[in-house]
Amino acid sequence: MARLDLEKLSKRYGDFFAVRDVSLQIADGEFLVLLGPSGCGKTTTLRMVAGFIEPSDGAVRLGGSDVTVLPPWKRNAGMVFQSYALFPHLSVAQNVAFGLEMRKLPRADIERRVEEALALVRLTGFGGRLPRQLSGGQQQRVALARALAIRPDVLLLDEPLSNLDAKLRQEVRVEIRELQRQLGLTTVMVTHDQEEALTMADRLVVMNEGAVRQVGSQRDLYERPADRFVAGFVGRSTFLDGAVEAPGRFRTDGGLALACAGGMPGRAALALRPERVEIAPSANTNMSGLDNSLPGTVEFVSYLGALIDIHVRLSPQDRLVVQIANRDGGFAPDVGQPVQVGWPAAAGLVFNE
Amino acid sequence: MTDAALARGPVVERRRGEGWTAAALITPASIFVAFCLLAPIAILFRFSLNEFVPSKKLMVEALTVANYVKFFTDPYYTTILATTVRIAVLVTAVCLVLGFPLAYVVARTQSRFKHLLIISIVLPLFVGNAVRAAGWMTVFGNKGFFNATLMGLGVIDQPLEIMFTEKAVVIGIIAVNLPFMVLSLQSVIEGIDRSVEEAAFSLGAPPATMFRRVLWPLALPGVLAGTILTFVLAMNAYATPFLLGGPLFAMMAPSAQEGFAVDMGYNPTVTNAKVPPDVQKRIGFTEEEQKRLRDLDYGYMAKNDTAFQEWWNKSFKG
Repeated sequence: MARLDLEKLSKRYGDFFAVRDVSLQIADGEFLVLLGPSGCGKTTTLRMVAGFIEPSDGAVRLGGSDVTVLPPWKRNAGMVFQSYALFPHLSVAQNVAFGLEMRKLPRADIERRVEEALALVRLTGFGGRLPRQLSGGQQQRVALARALAIRPDVLLLDEPLSNLDAKLRQEVRVEIRELQRQLGLTTVMVTHDQEEALTMADRLVVMNEGAVRQVGSQRDLYERPADRFVAGFVGRSTFLDGAVEAPGRFRTDGGLALACAGGMPGRAALALRPERVEIAPSANTNMSGLDNSLPGTVEFVSYLGALIDIHVRLSPQDRLVVQIANRDGGFAPDVGQPVQVGWPAAAGLVFNE
Repeated sequence: MTDAALARGPVVERRRGEGWTAAALITPASIFVAFCLLAPIAILFRFSLNEFVPSKKLMVEALTVANYVKFFTDPYYTTILATTVRIAVLVTAVCLVLGFPLAYVVARTQSRFKHLLIISIVLPLFVGNAVRAAGWMTVFGNKGFFNATLMGLGVIDQPLEIMFTEKAVVIGIIAVNLPFMVLSLQSVIEGIDRSVEEAAFSLGAPPATMFRRVLWPLALPGVLAGTILTFVLAMNAYATPFLLGGPLFAMMAPSAQEGFAVDMGYNPTVTNAKVPPDVQKRIGFTEEEQKRLRDLDYGYMAKNDTAFQEWWNKSFKG
């Protein structure tokens, strides 16, 4: 295993920057996740690390040596593809052995390491099968075993879970994470699924439009998003558009006067996490402890099982989403019902335009 | 589900009427193949077992393998067969070598002009083989485009002899067959996941190894289809060897046609063609002339064939 450094990495297609000035340091044994919507440049970045795309600018250093112009077959990077990319004409064991054969290891060593790799992903005894005889989850594990067998300097995961069904995905997430910790693998994973990103990563990188928007831990990204994009992409936020009138005073376009923390005077958006907003039936309006307390009307209710989303209309221009836990005897809102909502000033994040 | 049903394993649900639908879908083509392809071949096969008696008719009802023995022993036929197979193998090999990279590029391109690429591969097939061969003649001739260019540039001072050689035939047939090879390969390569190639690269395989271990084995169905198609087309090539190979060059299809025509005494195979009245007036015989026409006695001719030839050689040539 080794550390991985990206220095001002860019990929330009004509005038279009697919990736722009991406600099990242990934420590030995760290699990880094590149998160972003499709087309944000995360996959291009990963493919530049793998060597499939040549950067227009910048450098990739793997274990301290510059591999920027090295072809993929000369880098020691294990990659797991979204489609698994197993060799359909080779057995499971032959798939796993492929990289070892390329390294010209003696036959006995290859066999031993294939067994080890298959045991690692709990597929001992499956060596003789063909990929098409396996389930999606098993194929995914073969792909992982194949990438691990070569003892790569870095493990690259390109949306490895997106072809699995929801339940399996949760299991495999934990499995990959445990394996990664156990083997101390320097890992870069690309995903557009924020839940996946949050559960697996040591550190996350949020990308949009080819650029890094924020790097940090789960808590950093959620509690202190760097900009409006991150606030909307990591977790969920309701944005109230308006302006900061004076530090601590925000007025929405709908005319609501709200207390907020910080912000420069001028056009801005106030972002609120749905679960940080309190809600109560209008009759029982004891929200005196909160900086903001406003009346509203329930407009839409979305029942999610453990949670309930309530869309509350505050003014003709302002609508807020409130999320509450679904408890016995808890608040059960009806559409059209008048309610009271409130939140502390610190819960609202101000993003100046 | 009962225990018995469970013991039988998973039950494959069949949609009602599936069997009938399948039968209905394959029937028309099956009938066509049976009557229009298999039947003529069967009839020809029966003919091939007849006895060949040049003096009487083309064939006499019999059940003999004499024709096959003759075909595989007579040097005239074996030479033609050998030439044909050799050329077909050569053409197929060259088509595969030239076609694979082209098919790969067409299959993998992300260009929006991909359809244009495919059309430009297929387009040459719109030109008939005879017309195309005529085109090659203007290229290969001693004063043709190829030689004229090379001589004009001073690369050579004597024209290269291409026309009426095996080279011309091979080039001509390759040009006809290449699109079939490319299309067969392209459709199969398109079905191979691009990331499988990348997986091989990332596992340490350089391009040549990746090709040998991954791309080639996965493209094999296309290689097989393209190879068979190209080989069969080359074996049966008619216009190209006939026009580009010249009179001394013998491949099977033109030779078979020629042999048939000779044995028929160059008789017309079409006897009931209708000619427009104005043309008929200019080329046809008048009734009086028609009365003077006599049918040829083929039996008599065949019987005295040697005598005629002797006479011809002695008193005419000599």
